[in-house]
Amino acid sequence: MIKTEIYEKALFETIKRGATEISPDVKDAFIKAIEREENPDAKNGLEATLKSMEMSKERENPLCVDTGWPIFYFKVGNQCELEGGFVELENAARRAVAKATELGYLRATMKHPLTGYDPGNNIGMNIPDFTYQFVEGDAIEISYAAKGGGSECFGGTRHRIVAFADGIKGIEKFVIESFVASARAGAVCPPSVLGIGIGGTANVAANLAKEAACLRTVGSKHPDPMFAKIEEDLYKAINSLGIGILGAGGTTSVLAVNVEYAYTHIAGIACATSTNCMVARRASSKIEADGTVRKMMSPNWFGDR
Amino acid sequence: MEEYHLTSPLTDEDVSKLRLGDTVYISGECFTCRSRLQKYIFDENNVLPFDTKDRNILIHNGPIVVKENGKWRLVSFMPTSSIRFEKWGAKSVDEWNLKMIVGKTTMGAKTAAMMKEKKCVHVSPRSVSPNLWIDSIEVQDVHLYDELGRIEAAWFFKLNDLGPFIVDIDCEGNNYFDKLDRKIEENKQTALKELGIDDSFEFTKLY
Repeated sequence: MIKTEIYEKALFETIKRGATEISPDVKDAFIKAIEREENPDAKNGLEATLKSMEMSKERENPLCVDTGWPIFYFKVGNQCELEGGFVELENAARRAVAKATELGYLRATMKHPLTGYDPGNNIGMNIPDFTYQFVEGDAIEISYAAKGGGSECFGGTRHRIVAFADGIKGIEKFVIESFVASARAGAVCPPSVLGIGIGGTANVAANLAKEAACLRTVGSKHPDPMFAKIEEDLYKAINSLGIGILGAGGTTSVLAVNVEYAYTHIAGIACATSTNCMVARRASSKIEADGTVRKMMSPNWFGDR
Repeated sequence: MEEYHLTSPLTDEDVSKLRLGDTVYISGECFTCRSRLQKYIFDENNVLPFDTKDRNILIHNGPIVVKENGKWRLVSFMPTSSIRFEKWGAKSVDEWNLKMIVGKTTMGAKTAAMMKEKKCVHVSPRSVSPNLWIDSIEVQDVHLYDELGRIEAAWFFKLNDLGPFIVDIDCEGNNYFDKLDRKIEENKQTALKELGIDDSFEFTKLY
């Protein structure tokens, strides 16, 4: 049985790391983007962003002032036992978010949707958000993702049902047009990690798109060549558009394009996009049944990608 | 493209010389604003409790500021998207006599028209680099903290060569991103063709 004290501490450490440290895969993507970027102003912008993100680790301050929607993903072993059960895991996650907010690792960003009331701790109805995946074993993997307001509010997250008659062409046109509209003037904070969900009902496609944007290792490929080709084709196509960092021009508009899919209804193909902003904040930890906690380099949400 | 180092209060001359794509660094006194401040003033008919005459730079931003040993400390700063505040943009420029708005993205046509009339520019960042900026910002004071909360209050900052920002709306109301949009649209047509999606492609209408 994993003690509350252990998972609460791990939750807090994971939030803090997600908020203040650049993920190793995102850092690699930045280094490659800086090498390739052809526009000198955009290159300076990418360099300044990377430098600031590295300073956040030393200064223990947020990578960006908007610390986003707090979102948790739990990959839970079927035999995993937690003191207080999963209700207490969620309570502990709320306490950890409140503590991280009090200490300035998170900004108090979550508000009541109608009154604008700010509880000051990022805790409210249905926030933080929790998603579970069940696997064999007795451990639990915790991922914390912070989905930025820019990446979420300007049309980077959208959905369309594409007819089977339109197929891959319809999907790709929808994705490119959505991205161009949402990245105008840098609204979604490009270069983005662009997640695409194909299939399922609309909410399944939207969740897959969000998970593809937030949890896939940046630089990984889908194992199915058909989906890997869509990733590669869209990555090249979008980086040829000239949008650049914060939409001010440049050859780096996406850091990655990640596609995930589900089977769909014969009537149509739900297709959703989700952009993650360039800082692409997340962190993951694994807690073994004996209470050993270790940092994970990547969320492992989709296995080895 | 030129580089300018300007100090507030800005004059008509300071901003009239700026061209789209120029780089700007700013010093002097400014204030922060988000939608709750504009709603409070313009929709709920309250009076702005300070004078903007010598503080005519507005930054769209909700900073992270903590109080340590009785003093404010800026933890993080990044301009936020201006386009969300378009509803009150023209009024803000007009009634607050602004000469510069700093924000991510840009403003819309109505604000740009008022900026042309009143000689005001919009500038935006080209990176997400809070740590390269916070050392150039001194937190002086805060207004409407109790009314609007820590993030949406009007913070008074004193800037020391904060930048770089690019001019994306000039005093003539021209927009840098409108020009870029045309180029991106052309590139988009080429990219779609390369994916085998030609002009004749039409989505099957499902709804």
